[in-house]
Amino acid sequence: MSRGAAIAAPRRGFVHALRELRRAFNTNITSWIGLGVFLAIVLFAVLAPVIAPFDPYEQHIIDRLKGPDATYWFGTDAFGRDILSRLLHGARYSLVIGSVATVSAMIIGSAIGIVSGYVGGRVDLAVMQVMDVLMSFPSLIMGLMIVAVLGPSMGNLIFAIALTAIAPFARIARAPTIVIKQRDFIEACRALGFSDLRIMVVHILPNVMAEILVLGTLWLATSIRVEASLSFIGLGLKPPIPSWGGMVREGFEVILDSAWLSIFPSLAILLIIFALNMLGDGLRDAVDPKLRGGE
Amino acid sequence: MTTAVKAGAASTSDTPGPILRVESLTTSFRSGGAWHPAVRDVSFDLARHETLALVGESGCGKSMTALSIMGLVPKPAGRIAGGHIWFEGEDLTQLDDEAMRRIRGDRISMIFQEPMTSLNPVLTVGFQVAEALFYHRGMSGREADRMALDLLEQVKIPSARRRFADYPHQFSGGMRQRVMIAIALACRPQVLLADEPTTALDVTIQAEVLALLAELKTAYGMSMVFITHNLGVVAAIADRVAVMYAGEIVEIATVRELFRRPTHPYTELLMRSIPRVDRNIAELETIQGQVPSISAMPPGCRFAPRCPLREPRCEAAPPPLAGRSGHHVRCVVRAGA
Amino acid sequence: MAEILLAVERLKKFFTQKRGFPNPETVTVRALDEISFTVNRGEAFGLVGESGCGKSTAGRCVLRLIEPDSGGVTYAGEDVLEAGKERLRLLRRKMQIVFQDPYASLNPRRMIGKALAEPMQVHGLGDSAEIDARVEALLAEVGLPPDARWRFPHEFSGGQRQRIGIARALTVSPELVVADEPVSALDVSIQSQILLLLRGLQDKHGLSYIFISHDLGVVRWFCQSIAVMYLGRIVETGPVPAIFDDPLHPYTRMLRESSPVPDPEVRVAPARIAGEVPSAVNPPAGCHFHTRCPHVMDKCRQAYPEWRMVGQGRGVACHLHGA
Repeated sequence: MSRGAAIAAPRRGFVHALRELRRAFNTNITSWIGLGVFLAIVLFAVLAPVIAPFDPYEQHIIDRLKGPDATYWFGTDAFGRDILSRLLHGARYSLVIGSVATVSAMIIGSAIGIVSGYVGGRVDLAVMQVMDVLMSFPSLIMGLMIVAVLGPSMGNLIFAIALTAIAPFARIARAPTIVIKQRDFIEACRALGFSDLRIMVVHILPNVMAEILVLGTLWLATSIRVEASLSFIGLGLKPPIPSWGGMVREGFEVILDSAWLSIFPSLAILLIIFALNMLGDGLRDAVDPKLRGGE
Repeated sequence: MTTAVKAGAASTSDTPGPILRVESLTTSFRSGGAWHPAVRDVSFDLARHETLALVGESGCGKSMTALSIMGLVPKPAGRIAGGHIWFEGEDLTQLDDEAMRRIRGDRISMIFQEPMTSLNPVLTVGFQVAEALFYHRGMSGREADRMALDLLEQVKIPSARRRFADYPHQFSGGMRQRVMIAIALACRPQVLLADEPTTALDVTIQAEVLALLAELKTAYGMSMVFITHNLGVVAAIADRVAVMYAGEIVEIATVRELFRRPTHPYTELLMRSIPRVDRNIAELETIQGQVPSISAMPPGCRFAPRCPLREPRCEAAPPPLAGRSGHHVRCVVRAGA
Repeated sequence: MAEILLAVERLKKFFTQKRGFPNPETVTVRALDEISFTVNRGEAFGLVGESGCGKSTAGRCVLRLIEPDSGGVTYAGEDVLEAGKERLRLLRRKMQIVFQDPYASLNPRRMIGKALAEPMQVHGLGDSAEIDARVEALLAEVGLPPDARWRFPHEFSGGQRQRIGIARALTVSPELVVADEPVSALDVSIQSQILLLLRGLQDKHGLSYIFISHDLGVVRWFCQSIAVMYLGRIVETGPVPAIFDDPLHPYTRMLRESSPVPDPEVRVAPARIAGEVPSAVNPPAGCHFHTRCPHVMDKCRQAYPEWRMVGQGRGVACHLHGA
């Protein structure tokens, strides 16, 4: 146990935070539904190459713009590509972009928030001013500006979405840090000669982890939404890559005749965002009321 | 209980007998699907003009006893599971919420430990004192204000007139506790329940507040139940003392008798474990272990696991509270001695 | 004679706060106004006073958990305030702290065994087997069962947590422990357990304490000498029995007489009610205590009394005991 304890410590805190979330979670059925739906979508995305009935890029010219039937469950698009297969593969892009962006923002934002809250004083003031400026841009507008300047590519998309999410993570990590750094056990750490870095990583981070994870869940939904929105206005993934936002847009042009083109990807976006929000809200309810004193 | 005085005959002051009689009170809390008594079989009389101290450590049930009397046991987690609380011929445990509300703050008042959280931060101190008078006495605003000012002067708030319109945060802890006392006294209660009223205060302020409470008790002809963990404070203010441990009264006697002849092993050890300011003590006694949790009470004497005088019979059955001439002890080993 | 372990010289710390909106007012809290005292090796030195007198600030300034504005702290001949990062790390192995609130003083997410092993790992005090053995020994020493190391703080009562806090301070084998109201939050029966534990450690390891407390009874039992503080200044110091038997400063006397005694024959003399108690934000001119002093004289309102040694290691700042 004590072997390698220094390395194991943060993971331990992480596990503890997860366990705590799960305990709070058990009382809330909507969070379970949210989690179930989300995991199902993840599973479909992972298995997409196996379960998708067709290649998402394969064009069945004869069958273009067919409504849902026994062969093409969700119908086909203007190039005769199977919508279901495109949806399944599109889920992979949405999830990857959303989660890479969210996780990077989570790591960078939390680090900024914890350092800023821990150091305090002028540094904190300055950092939080910058964060406030970042926060004042709606995430879609911000993403739009960045992609417009840097050009639409998967990397830039992730960068743009992550950048908009840093400020909220910094804020959510900073508030409890300020409370916790005043507790005696942090003073005890200082009295024991621990370095500031160690105090932040080993002692403060595990105590703010639950809040960060909750925001992470909620922000994953936002990231996916922003990605879809950017793709919808043509600043996202380039066709023919199947992205949900792009699919809605392609279908938009023929919505009066072939509504299924946009309806199914829209439903998919709705479903995943709804599931993540249910999950996140449940977690937040579980974490919020007891910004615990003694546990 | 046998001679419950008819409510109508009970004039406010001079009926004989105790003003408050608690009989076999049991207050339970639900935890892990079962009800556990936080207060078990507590009985005592409070005589007119008397100060009875309930003393014990945290979780001994002393505060819960007071909340039971006030009808403020937090529901639905807790409930009065048995016993009677006789006040002026009425059994308070049988009254409905509305009737309890009329008694609370009017004929029985309570003050708490933390004067900071007991006052509303956004209302002036004067208003908060006057409010009880509107509510229970139906006074006009002007009358209530005059009376409230009078009360603030009685609790010796310096330049009370000037500070009438101040807010709680402008007062120090000691002054806030005085305001709380003024509110509690506004309707001239017959019984004042004081729950650790000086614990949060500095010693010099504590001495002032204790002196003030003793003085006002005499002036108002009140009876007082004073809850504390501090035996020094007990010695300073009480006429009689009930020592509580793990939800039960383990010893009850007059204050002189109790300090001269502490009989229950818990009382005795407790007294010998306090360092004293007035003399050098070579050896400090200590009580090993800790209070059992509410869901894991020993079947026999609740102090037995920590008791140096433990015998097999102690663990067999709960000992009764027995004794004579007003000194009762819940201990089979010491009762005969 | 006794070796001086810690010498504090004219230690000063003022805090400034901005209060109010929209016209903020800058308020200066004179938490420590040039206090001096010494702690002998092996001695328990009490810092006594009421809330806001600066006693906790003093303890933290000695450890440099708060940086003092000016003054000196010398530990075993070494200047603590001038120590660089590395020296300070070493000094912190010599000087430790135990806190009042056993609920706030432990990291709720850290297993006890890890919390105790961590300081030894950070300071490189032994390999993992040695540290392991030491954790076990420490738990035994403070009276906790060996399986405590696998548990989290919330599984313990207040008294047990205080034991854990003490064990954590002992991990680095300190010589001086600042104990900041270590028993104030505890029940009476637990209080004596902890006091006996601390006394036992003093005897066994020759520990010295700066024992910060508002409870004169506890200080009388635990300490060998004390300093009484009022509004950021020390008003009286001396060896324990003498100060309690014959307090010189009227404030010490008032504290003593206000402290409740568990004896109904000795009724507490109520202190005089003298309006709002002044705070360290605006200490009264002259002697800070003159607004509450029963012996107040004209010069008390004008000048702060000189510090005067009055024999047997006793000192007092009061015009009554002036030249």
